[in-house]
Amino acid sequence: MEKLTKDDIHPKILEALMRTESRYTVEDALENEMILNMGPQHPATHGVLRLLLRLDGETIVACVPELGYLHRGYEKMAENMSFYEFIPHTDRLDYLAPLSNNVAWVLAVEKLTGIEAPPRAQYIRMLICELSRIASHLVAIGAFAMDVGAMTVLLWTFREREKILDIWDILCGARFTNTYTRVGGVANDIQPEALAKVNWFIDQFDDNLKECEQLLNKNRIFIERLDGVGIVSAKDAIDLGLTGPTLRGSGVEYDLRRAKPYLFYNEMDFNVITYKEGDCLARYFVRIDEARESAKMVRQILSKMPQGEVRLNSAKKVLPNKAEVYTKMEELIQDFMIVNFGINPPAGEIYSAIENPKGELGFYIVSKGEGHPWKCKIRSPSFCNCQGLPLMMKGHMVSDVVAIVGSIDPVMGEADK
Amino acid sequence: MSLRRRKKDLTFWEKIYIPEIVKGLALTLKTMFKPKYTVEYPEVKFIPPASYRGRPVLVMEENGKERCVACGLCSRVCPPLAIFVQAAETPDEKERYPVKFEINMIRCIFCGFCEDVCPEEAIVMSKDYELAFSSREEAIYGKDKLLTPIKQVQDRINFLRQYK
Ligand code: SF4
Ligand code: SF4
Repeated sequence: MEKLTKDDIHPKILEALMRTESRYTVEDALENEMILNMGPQHPATHGVLRLLLRLDGETIVACVPELGYLHRGYEKMAENMSFYEFIPHTDRLDYLAPLSNNVAWVLAVEKLTGIEAPPRAQYIRMLICELSRIASHLVAIGAFAMDVGAMTVLLWTFREREKILDIWDILCGARFTNTYTRVGGVANDIQPEALAKVNWFIDQFDDNLKECEQLLNKNRIFIERLDGVGIVSAKDAIDLGLTGPTLRGSGVEYDLRRAKPYLFYNEMDFNVITYKEGDCLARYFVRIDEARESAKMVRQILSKMPQGEVRLNSAKKVLPNKAEVYTKMEELIQDFMIVNFGINPPAGEIYSAIENPKGELGFYIVSKGEGHPWKCKIRSPSFCNCQGLPLMMKGHMVSDVVAIVGSIDPVMGEADK
Repeated sequence: MSLRRRKKDLTFWEKIYIPEIVKGLALTLKTMFKPKYTVEYPEVKFIPPASYRGRPVLVMEENGKERCVACGLCSRVCPPLAIFVQAAETPDEKERYPVKFEINMIRCIFCGFCEDVCPEEAIVMSKDYELAFSSREEAIYGKDKLLTPIKQVQDRINFLRQYK
């Protein structure tokens, strides 16, 4: 490993690291305390997250996360394309739950435009949100277990997730970058085969999740590595703006599905899972229980799903029906107008957020009445949750770093935007 | 719940860990005899459903001509700007046709927007997912590679008519 010198570290990071008064040196690591550079190419940091750790022996004195290695400038790109064209880009924010992001974006645009999708489309959106929550939590649990040394669970949770990806395959034709929702509805109606597969998946999911749990929940090594590690108090969690399982693991009962219901979540019967301990183990329990809760909700959605249109019929705002584009002049012109000039929402600004698997994903859009946003700000949960890292790390060992990072489950595509 | 344990809740036997290891091994061993969920890919091919979004292709009518009228809508909507269309006039009923129609398969992200907006049902997503190139030039698919007889994509067209 190459030696780090003072010039390699950005002055601001150095200042943050050194804020606590104490003896230090960057030049001679062995002499006193040392600075350890972890990442961006580190297998356990879940992507390109760079952590600078100031160590006293093996104890962490300070930690500074450095973001931006996967920055692609999505907020700026949004200003140069129509609302419709930005949908595929949202897939690439939180790439473990692309469908949730699609839903968040179209809900924001619909709020700005002042339209609402038909009920069946909204139910389909809820269904895909919950299934992608399960998929994302499965990856989080598996990767988290592997971070602390259990390999098998990862393979099992990936097997379960594979089944969800197969559902996506039938539903929208892509496994990963789904691009399924549209402004004013969804791309296509849900097919009977997809519904059958969802039913089959939900029926066998509980037993398979239990199997994964059996390997971990009474496992002494797993528990001892996580119990009491990375504690955030409820007050700190709120102050830092943490959301999602990280917040609920600290005992704060805040879930946007309950606090500010969107879609039809006010009609759903579900529990908001909280654990009061606020450590890594609590966050793991929250994810496991939330996956169960989502499976429960999927059953309700399936039984309540109404029939009807999946795309709003609204000239000037929503792409017209294909069959009508082929035969009618009016719709053909509309098709051309929307593609060329975009939907022109009224001037104004809105903020719309949904509960993503990782936390609150919000879009703040400023419109000047043109076909593209004047400004788009993405409030990504992983980015905000990474703010908790310095607090969680303090006083723990180097080996706890991977456990703590795994427990907040950041996705760098989203944190770096 | 009985499954939720913290350090203080572990019983003596769970703390010893040996019986837990044996239980865990028994569980993993049991899984070995369950049916596999993986597919051995190059030998066993994945057969996509009709909704699958593979490589976009141009629909060729039975008379050997493309349906496309070179309106350029697909190239306007394509988010990564992968499509290039150049129009010309033709004495046929449709009046315009593309002299040049190129899709850069390195840029294409398989979003299906071109198919979504096409007013002529002229560009659809095929089931072709095995794409590999050895150079950038090779990856630019012209009309020769894009034109596909309508029979081969009938599946997809039926799907579009039924569900979109
Ligand atoms: S949208 Fe359809 S008709 Fe228009 S140029 Fe593209 S393929 Fe041709
Ligand atoms: S599938 Fe998407 S990226 Fe590919 S050519 Fe069509 S519009 Fe462009």
